Amino acid sequence: MNKFLYFIDSLKEEPLLIQIVWLLSFVLFVIIIISIIYLKFLRTHLRLNDKIAEKYKNEYEANLITYLYSENEEGLISSEQQSIIKQLKNGAINKFKREIIISTLLKLLNEISGEMADSIQNLYYQTALNNYAVAKLKSGNWYFITEGIRELKLFRVKDAHKDVEKHVNHSKSEVRKEVQLYLVNLFSFKGLNFLNDLKTPLSEWDQIQLLEELQKFDDQEIPDITLWLKSENDYVVIFALKLAKIYNQFGMKEILLELLNHESERVRLELIPVLNHLYIVEAKEVLKSNFSERSREEQIEFLKLLENLGDENDEHFILQHIYNNDFEIRLSALKILKNINLSKFENLELTKPEAEFVEMVKFIKNN
Amino acid sequence: MDTSTVNTILLIFHYFFFAYAFAAISSYIILAIISIVETIEYKKKNKFVNYKEILSSDIAPSISIIAPAYNESLNIIENVRSLLSNHYANYDVIIVNDGSKDNSLELLIEAYDLVKVDYLINQQILTQPVREGVFKSKNPAFEKLIVVDKENGGKADALNMGLNISTSKYVACIDVDCLLLEDALQKMIKPFLELTEVKVIATGGVIRIANACIIKSGKLLDVNMPKSMLERAQILEYIRSFLLGRMAWSRLNGLLVISGAFGMFDKKIVIEVGGYDTNTVGEDMEIIVRMRVHMEEQKKKYKVAYIPDPLCWTEAPDNYKTFISQRNRWTRGTIEVLKKHRRIGLNPKYRSLGLVSFPFWFIFERMAPIIEVVGIVYFCILMALRELRWDYAFVFFISAYLFTVLFSIVAILSEENTYHQYKKKGTGYKLIRTILLEPFLFHPFVLYAAIKGNFDYYFNKKIKWGVMTRKGMTKAAESN
Repeated sequence: MNKFLYFIDSLKEEPLLIQIVWLLSFVLFVIIIISIIYLKFLRTHLRLNDKIAEKYKNEYEANLITYLYSENEEGLISSEQQSIIKQLKNGAINKFKREIIISTLLKLLNEISGEMADSIQNLYYQTALNNYAVAKLKSGNWYFITEGIRELKLFRVKDAHKDVEKHVNHSKSEVRKEVQLYLVNLFSFKGLNFLNDLKTPLSEWDQIQLLEELQKFDDQEIPDITLWLKSENDYVVIFALKLAKIYNQFGMKEILLELLNHESERVRLELIPVLNHLYIVEAKEVLKSNFSERSREEQIEFLKLLENLGDENDEHFILQHIYNNDFEIRLSALKILKNINLSKFENLELTKPEAEFVEMVKFIKNN
Repeated sequence: MDTSTVNTILLIFHYFFFAYAFAAISSYIILAIISIVETIEYKKKNKFVNYKEILSSDIAPSISIIAPAYNESLNIIENVRSLLSNHYANYDVIIVNDGSKDNSLELLIEAYDLVKVDYLINQQILTQPVREGVFKSKNPAFEKLIVVDKENGGKADALNMGLNISTSKYVACIDVDCLLLEDALQKMIKPFLELTEVKVIATGGVIRIANACIIKSGKLLDVNMPKSMLERAQILEYIRSFLLGRMAWSRLNGLLVISGAFGMFDKKIVIEVGGYDTNTVGEDMEIIVRMRVHMEEQKKKYKVAYIPDPLCWTEAPDNYKTFISQRNRWTRGTIEVLKKHRRIGLNPKYRSLGLVSFPFWFIFERMAPIIEVVGIVYFCILMALRELRWDYAFVFFISAYLFTVLFSIVAILSEENTYHQYKKKGTGYKLIRTILLEPFLFHPFVLYAAIKGNFDYYFNKKIKWGVMTRKGMTKAAESN
């Protein structure tokens, strides 16, 4: 102690800079000690939490299985079920336990189907867990809103859709994304109505998620996509093009052809494979007429279309591109020529003897 | 030289070192704060993401994993199996055997039923020629695998061959010995598909050290802390670098490097810039700088994104010789890249790339070891001249040490609060011990390797990659 006091006294004699740096060192030392204690606490807490969560999970799982198998013959709630509901309801007051109950319910919901799945959903209501989820929608924090919507989607709570739809134009894309998934997951193609006046972007990631959701439904009756194909939002148009391709919208031919002159290159690039898929041969002449004005990517997509839809009428056009400097364009053009005029293709080796060209011709001939 | 001149010189040195240390510490604190905010935000934003949908989707974009291999016969079969076990639907694996002198190719042919196929290669980037040919499997279970055997040309050349072979829109360039977690590809592709306002040109993944971890059939089963100080210190260093450094640069859109061990790229942009540079050992940093320069010159909005999830696990050097050789190469790579692109430094045309990222790398990465050595020499001169003020020296040394320790603790706290990978009891104590000893037992070797790298760059031009002797991750786990 005396030594420490002596050190403090001698420090007063030192220049100001040394005093400051000693003070800083002391502060750093104290923060380090606190941080080490906190690290110890945090690691122990995380380990214990894992153990406690596991314990509750097992307990709730056992309760839920008992609940599912203790329904009385009239389909009414038995006294045993009543007691489990009460127990879960009490548990749900605690946030930590509530999260475990929800994850256990979801795990079971994913493993079972039919009446038992309905029972789990019913239990979700009985334990009033839906109220907690709906309450989250009123939060000012985007994270809680997203969490609430996700939970309502997973438990298929349709009657909350008005509260959920309020967030369709939320400033945070994570919230919007969850709203879109909620609507499509619960209302199938009708849920896509949000596209009618969507002002914000719909990323490729979002589009894939929505399309995957749609493909889960038995009823694949797609609504009229005309409005979306004509949307001012390019993302909506692109999404509608994907729908047209997946759901074979042959009836959209005229609108699709109009889109060949769409101002967005991304739209045109998405469109050409759709035209190819739907065998819309009328697109060929339009694309041929302004081929050189189109981007390289569009040219390649068009040639892929011709690989599928090309015929002898395209020979003149194709011959203009078999010596193109671009590898992919040349490759496509040669493939098309092989398809539409084999004898001409076989004579090409003699007319252009460069090694790379001959190699390409050989490759196409053999494959 | 009179006394007053000497005193003036000494004073200039005093202020220079003080200013440098102050700037370094301030920038580290700022970067750490930004990193923590970014990591927490990433975790929150991705908590609700359902990666399963993208897995099975046939409209998900295609990805080629390109893995160059040179004399990897020890682990190549297991490593390829690990790459083939990814859960993403639309991908292929291109193994580029870069003129290996061992029997890697024969092993692959036998293990995966490979046969030579007719394959038309689009030579968009010039590379060394194909040696034995391109191989694909007869077995439908391995239909995603393509093996190309070529003449030796180095890692960059092998990656360029992979780019020529790939027909996918995106390419993931990885080290063949890396262990990718099953959901790695969908997490890496997400920024490319998600961001609409800017074009994502590349994503980088956090690299974790697999030494002492239990790995079976290409799967990470158990995460352990190795026993040796060298390996533990590298674990600490990686956590610090990735969780407290690169995440911040990602948020500031100023990342200059994506680890060569695992990065994903928009292939079109990589081809546009001419692929990897075969004349540098820092090809992973160089390609990112060149892609960024390209986008800046095109005046396009772009981003290099970073994923903090522990997706890629790799074997780190477990002996000082290999470690020094690796760090030597990293230093030479940094010097080469910064020298090659020096015109962008402080050039307002390149906005934050030229005005922030590039100068930061030059001052705090490139120059740091040199300034540290100059500082040590200066310290010795002061001692020899009996001009050293021990009261100043001692307290500055203490405060620098405490700051280093605190910075490492913050990195560990960040890791515990987010990914909590080292769960086992007693690991916390081991980490703290490593943190306390690292500045004395690890940092001197880092410094030595960096100085050797500088020396080799200027005076030993012949040296290129150096050798990394691999134990194999499964074996590494057994021996610890």
